[in-house]
Amino acid sequence: MTKRNDISVPQGYFQDLEKRLGQIPREKARVTTFQKVSPWLAYAASLAILAAVGGFVFRKAAAPLQEDYSWDYVSYLSRSLDPDGIIELEETEEPSEEDILNYLLADNSISVELIAEANYEKNY
Amino acid sequence: MESLEQVFNNIVKDYSERLYWHVRRMVNSHEDADDLLQEIFLKIWTALPTFRGEAQLYTWVWRIATNETLNHLRKERVRAMLRMQSIDAEMERRVEGDPFFNGTEAQRELMKGLAKLPEKQRQVFVMRWWDELSYEQISAITGTSVGALKASYHIAQEKLKLNLSNLDVSK
Repeated sequence: MTKRNDISVPQGYFQDLEKRLGQIPREKARVTTFQKVSPWLAYAASLAILAAVGGFVFRKAAAPLQEDYSWDYVSYLSRSLDPDGIIELEETEEPSEEDILNYLLADNSISVELIAEANYEKNY
Repeated sequence: MESLEQVFNNIVKDYSERLYWHVRRMVNSHEDADDLLQEIFLKIWTALPTFRGEAQLYTWVWRIATNETLNHLRKERVRAMLRMQSIDAEMERRVEGDPFFNGTEAQRELMKGLAKLPEKQRQVFVMRWWDELSYEQISAITGTSVGALKASYHIAQEKLKLNLSNLDVSK
């Protein structure tokens, strides 16, 4: 059985192949400045990310624990019921003197005289 | 003194055709052989500054080519496994559908049988039978002992004979 001539190649293939392979050194030499510095850029970017994450973790770990008293029951409820803050809570107004008076008068244990006396002491 | 580019161009001139035939027999496709040859010569160019002349140039060039080819075949095997396909069936299909095949039926069967051999056995058989390298040369390239190479070649030959047994090989 003959060894070769059972498979062939396209006409002129080896001349073309030699030409293409001969271009490899010139193609490799055409490395752009960006390609040259890109490994260093990647290195610098990784370091920056590492420093940012490290700094954040360090600040979190080093800061004293602080209780957060800023929330109250109403805002807690509103956050639970409306986590996306779709429903806006109305601004609560400061109660007027009249409101306070009505509230106190509604309570039967506090008489008008007692209120008048307390009001007198407050003003004088 | 020759520049690296001149040395590289001489390597291209001296080895590109021989290496093409080796790679072609191993991968059973002209397109794959062409792509792989580009990769091999790119590797040769990249590694050329580190070549210290401790090995002969042909051993060094062939070693890069055979290693790259084996890596390529291993990757193809893994890719075929991931697709739940058989690489042997794929290789057989390539031999059957090769538009550049113009041999006899026996030669086609030989190629199909060759494609079914384990990669290392196939490599030894191709290097000895088609590339006509001596066992000593193959040993220097692959780092396998001459005895082990002879055994591998013998096993490959027996398998191929079995594959051809139903055909009239004198065709």
